[in-house]
Amino acid sequence: MTDVSLAVVLPLLGAFVLPLTRHGILRSLGPVIGPILLAACALILFAAWSAYDVPYAVALGSFAPPMGITFYIDDLALLFALAVPLTTLVLWPGESDPAATGRQSLTLLLAGSLTGLALSGDLFNVYVFYELAAVASYGLVVGDGRSPAYVAAFRYLMISALGSVVGLIGIAIIYFKTGTLNLADLSTLSGELADPQGLAAFAMLVIGFGVKAEAFPVNGWVPEVYGAVGKRVAALLAGLASKLAVLVIVRILILVFPHDETRQLLLVLGILGVAVGELAAWQARDIPRMLAWSSIGQLGVVFVAFSLPGKAGVIAGVTVAMHHLVVKSALFLLADRWDRAIESLKGAASTSRIGAALFVLFSLSLLGLPPLPGFWSKFLVLGGLAASASPLQLLAMGTILAGTVIEGAYLLRVVVTFYARPDAAVRVPGQRAGNLLGAGLFALVLLTAAVMINPLWQGLEVLAERAVDTNGYQHTVLGDREAGR
Amino acid sequence: MSTSVGLVFFIGAIGLCVIGIAGIVLSRHLFRMVLALAIAEAGANLLLILAGYRWDAVAPIFTGTAGGQAMVDPVPQAMVLTAIVIGVGVQALALSLVIRIKERYGTLDMQEARQCMQDDLDDAGGVTPSRSRERPAGERPIPAPTVLNSTGGQHD
Repeated sequence: MTDVSLAVVLPLLGAFVLPLTRHGILRSLGPVIGPILLAACALILFAAWSAYDVPYAVALGSFAPPMGITFYIDDLALLFALAVPLTTLVLWPGESDPAATGRQSLTLLLAGSLTGLALSGDLFNVYVFYELAAVASYGLVVGDGRSPAYVAAFRYLMISALGSVVGLIGIAIIYFKTGTLNLADLSTLSGELADPQGLAAFAMLVIGFGVKAEAFPVNGWVPEVYGAVGKRVAALLAGLASKLAVLVIVRILILVFPHDETRQLLLVLGILGVAVGELAAWQARDIPRMLAWSSIGQLGVVFVAFSLPGKAGVIAGVTVAMHHLVVKSALFLLADRWDRAIESLKGAASTSRIGAALFVLFSLSLLGLPPLPGFWSKFLVLGGLAASASPLQLLAMGTILAGTVIEGAYLLRVVVTFYARPDAAVRVPGQRAGNLLGAGLFALVLLTAAVMINPLWQGLEVLAERAVDTNGYQHTVLGDREAGR
Repeated sequence: MSTSVGLVFFIGAIGLCVIGIAGIVLSRHLFRMVLALAIAEAGANLLLILAGYRWDAVAPIFTGTAGGQAMVDPVPQAMVLTAIVIGVGVQALALSLVIRIKERYGTLDMQEARQCMQDDLDDAGGVTPSRSRERPAGERPIPAPTVLNSTGGQHD
């Protein structure tokens, strides 16, 4: 009967212990601490999912809500929280150069804070974990210390810090109006936040947490950073960190700001993200920046999906987000050795047959070819948009469909280059075994999901139903207090 | 009395935020961006403290005397302490990045540093740049040439 908050604490402890393992007796322990702790977190979260009666709330330090810090555990939180240690294990920086302990320490900090983001039930706790994840990612972006990485890290830091200032102003507005920052308490007061000041506060929170989620106004850092860092780090940031930031925005949307104007704001940001991302990806001439812009486009689709009201929105959004986590992380792993101009990769399929085949599989899933899960994710989004059919949603539908055509153009162009006859003069690098193994694991997950669509669908229905049940959330966290309100 | 004082504080806090955000967005010098970030964070923290402030109350510390005095809301103050610490850490990291950028690229101008970064990334990836790196020197638009008339004088 282990506490779920251990899943947040263990990686943080590991991050602080790792630098001690550089010298002395603990040196042999160093490389295995991280993977062991992450595996332990995954087991704890998995046990919480199968053993307990979710949803439930944990009051840290036994301070009863709404005064203290609460963790809220339901299916949605556990799904994203479980994705964190599993994905970090697959993308673990396993090199053994002297800077490895620093890199592993930062990765553990990122994993711990992202798990905290998934489980947290208090707005300021979310802010602190978000900043911790941001600082860990600045360190990871700097990485080996190549010159372009410094400039990319500085620009990312500036945009992220600007977003944090704006987000802090938004939190101040919410505190002015309601006097509390506990999400369940705010959920009971969401009627007071339905005016223009509340909409402004929501917009500021979207700008604040949207930096990591690559939301429209604050995503200028994405192509530079993903071009300049090592691709395993890019996979962590693009695949994992962005999804957790989206989860935070969605929780705030469903619980605190369930109004039409806020959903419209997300819809507009999503449409802009899709349009800008797909068009710029078409223009990109090397693989990392193409994948970076494509990531912006896909996260635009995620925003559009979560802007649909009710259960349908959560199901569509979770499907697109999880699919993107698997596919984009795998694509960045494959791009680790292939991070160069597309024309210089002619004939890559002859040097690495498995790598090219995996790239084709992930491209087809990203495009939405049935029966791969990408088809179901896009189908759910488009179906939800067509159901209510206001002009803005029809525009979103058209943008996503046009974006799919453009995606086909740039992804299949890369595939054609891979399978062309290789140039005799240019030597195309092969793939590393570690990356192929990671990409193969992601492919296995993708194909398993393609086969097991029906059980996954039923699980997602239950998840979405509990996620949109705000009364249930309030009751779980606050107990029977609001009966006496 | 307290409303006008409160108004001054609010205007000050929002003004600091606006100055800081404008500085980050409009500035070209890396160090000025870091300074603008510090100002913006100060403004945001001041705004958060104002959210819990009461004008006729004392600091939220138990001093052993009998209670009954109104106290300022301690929750925003705790949050602001956290935000100040986070801000200090981020500013220190930003400054160390500025030092490194100056060492590597020799410039503290954002546009130049970004151009150097794009050039490095293009070189590493083998991408030919979309614009020639050797741009012609001189002003744009090229000033109109002066025309000589047949007698050798000059007129435009």
